[in-house]
Amino acid sequence: MQPDDQDAPQLSRRTVLASATLVPVAALTAAAQAPSTALSTTERQILDAFVDRLVPADELGPGALACGAANYIDLALADALAGEKATLAEGLAAVDAFARTQHGMPFPQLTPDQKDAVLTEIDEGRATGFTNPRAFFARVRRLTLEGMFSDPYYGGNKNFAGWDLIRYPGPRLAVAPEEQKMSALPKPLHQSAYGSKFNHGH
Amino acid sequence: MAISLKPVDVAVIGLGAAGGIAVLPLAQAGLKIAGIEAGGWMDARTFRPDEIHNNVRGLVTSVPKTKSEVPTVRDSPSAVARRVGNHPMMNAIGGTSIHYWAQSWRLKPWDFRTRSETVKRYGAGAIPAGSTLEDWPLTYDELERYYDQVEYEIGVSGKAGNIQGRIDPAGNIFEGPRQREYPMPPLRATEFTDRMAQAAHELGWHPFRPPAAINTQPYQGRPGCAYHGFCGTGGCHIGAKNSTAITTIPAALKTKNLTIFDRAQVTRIAAGDDGRVTGVNYLREGKEYFQPARVVLLASYTYENSRLLLLSKSKAWPNGLSNNHGQVGKHYFAHWGTQGGGAVVALFPFDINVFYGLPAQGTAVDDFGDDSFDHTGLGFIGGTTLHVHTELHPIEAAAMNTFGRAPGWGARWKAFVRQNAARWTAAYLQTSTFPYETTFLDLDPQVRDPLADPVCRVTTSPRENERRSVEYAQNKMEQWFRAAGAIEVIKAPPTGPALSTHAYGGTRMGDNPETNVADRWGFSHEAPNLGILGASVMGTSGARNPTLTVQALAWRTAEHLVKSWKTIAG
Repeated sequence: MQPDDQDAPQLSRRTVLASATLVPVAALTAAAQAPSTALSTTERQILDAFVDRLVPADELGPGALACGAANYIDLALADALAGEKATLAEGLAAVDAFARTQHGMPFPQLTPDQKDAVLTEIDEGRATGFTNPRAFFARVRRLTLEGMFSDPYYGGNKNFAGWDLIRYPGPRLAVAPEEQKMSALPKPLHQSAYGSKFNHGH
Repeated sequence: MAISLKPVDVAVIGLGAAGGIAVLPLAQAGLKIAGIEAGGWMDARTFRPDEIHNNVRGLVTSVPKTKSEVPTVRDSPSAVARRVGNHPMMNAIGGTSIHYWAQSWRLKPWDFRTRSETVKRYGAGAIPAGSTLEDWPLTYDELERYYDQVEYEIGVSGKAGNIQGRIDPAGNIFEGPRQREYPMPPLRATEFTDRMAQAAHELGWHPFRPPAAINTQPYQGRPGCAYHGFCGTGGCHIGAKNSTAITTIPAALKTKNLTIFDRAQVTRIAAGDDGRVTGVNYLREGKEYFQPARVVLLASYTYENSRLLLLSKSKAWPNGLSNNHGQVGKHYFAHWGTQGGGAVVALFPFDINVFYGLPAQGTAVDDFGDDSFDHTGLGFIGGTTLHVHTELHPIEAAAMNTFGRAPGWGARWKAFVRQNAARWTAAYLQTSTFPYETTFLDLDPQVRDPLADPVCRVTTSPRENERRSVEYAQNKMEQWFRAAGAIEVIKAPPTGPALSTHAYGGTRMGDNPETNVADRWGFSHEAPNLGILGASVMGTSGARNPTLTVQALAWRTAEHLVKSWKTIAG
């Protein structure tokens, strides 16, 4: 039996041609999914405290925690990054254990200065109890950046505060010459590529 | 037992940048073609302005076949090869031409005659030690009309610098002569790319806006570019990027001579006892098929082209198809430059706003490409194009180097990225790269794919010629950035590429069958009805992107097949 020459390939080609026009942002909707998270309450508290010191809240705006970076990470660990969950959870437990040996308290209960001292030890590779403290720190830092600066669709960048911080003006489907000028960054367009209704991370 | 299909004239393996071009001249000539492609049709509505989707998680490029057969890499013939990172290419109708940067350069005349020109200008001692460099079996002038054909067929925007010997300083004055202007003007300039051009002029260099397979005005029913900033590793939501999926493949389908078998994974090319190829075995939805064909055109990718030939053993081909001289997998190389770790990153004391645009929108300099300058005393041959461009996504922007001016986290980092995320950029450098005795592809003795076939193993090695060449270019790039006002420039030490989107060789084209798999037309020296398409036939890289050359060669091979049908098809 031969595959039918007129089957799927031909059908989907029509789709490609039909859609080669401007698609409104709001139409780019993925199926809404029920958000599910991966970390335990304790693990999440450690992560919250961690990202809160990586990018603290100050006069420049909300920090990583209020931006939803930890929420982004927690959602991703239940989904696209599920394969990393065990490593991340192990690292978070090591942060807490190291905090207790250094300061006699769980990490989330330390003062900001104490937390920063713990993070510095991890970042610079001196902290004990980790498989690879530098690699763990670098990975949490990277995922925090993803949470702060990605499309809010993924559960972070709440109220577009991450994009506002770095003055990224937001995705547009078409960009005019004046929006590429050096001297004047365009006005921020607070819009998700998936439409605001689909900000499922909250 | 494989299901045997109705015989066709030509089976094309892979409908990407190369196979997707070749099907058009074949179909127009009335040949019946089976286009066998491991991926499927992509829906433009899934092309999103979303950095996580396109760039961080690579969901446009994430398809099962390439991900399950990622080659292994080692940096010397005595080392154990390991998997590092993902396969940089993808399977789809249109292949990687869907999400590539679409920079569509022609090679320069020197790239086709590198060995003889080098010997003539600098003496035989200038040929890099250990290299297996040969002149191409064709010249730039012979390929020119195919470059022209593809530029007009798919639509390439740009500004000519040399039309039949007339030099126009608005274009690339170092390019080889072309018969006419590009079909569309170049991508627009920005205030920043103009500033870079001005700085290059002040240095006495010759900047221009480089060519791209991207519409800058309506062309063949598709719109001009919207400059929205999600072009790299993302498909075009409006069809302004001229992938073969929206240009030559639909045109070939219209003739009704092309039948596409999508999501079909080719496992072997079959051959008879006389050594001639007889067709293609593939898997589709768990079933095995055999597609008989009078001619087979192999057009997967550099790694898979060599791998499939080496896997296709038979009575007539005990060492792999078309490998009686042991040349399959030899003369492999991949572009040095930015892709080989040699980044050049700059910080400006003012906003440059490169968030939007696209990687093909920029200012390029070819003064240090190939042999455009005197290499006497420099210790290397070949050169580098320097390209400064737009498109910077927000995560990437915030993950910037802090240039020693701030720590990597905390309040000071936050203040640093607030000020500087819109003030930095990275240049794109592409350096002439050559094949060596110690750079080759073969089958990995340990690592297998889910079908239990060995994956491709890449053996590469450090090379002094290329390292010196990149470092020379990095210094020029720093000079250029600083002339435009940069206050910090970081040059990363070039290490050479691992897996690359600019991978060449393995089935090199040349007149000598003892050192080349393909003849001057792209057909096997040993199996006469097997043609090979892709950068795997190229013997030098030039200092610029390979795709347009791959496409010009694919058109030329297909046209040769049409003209010599009786001889080749037997």
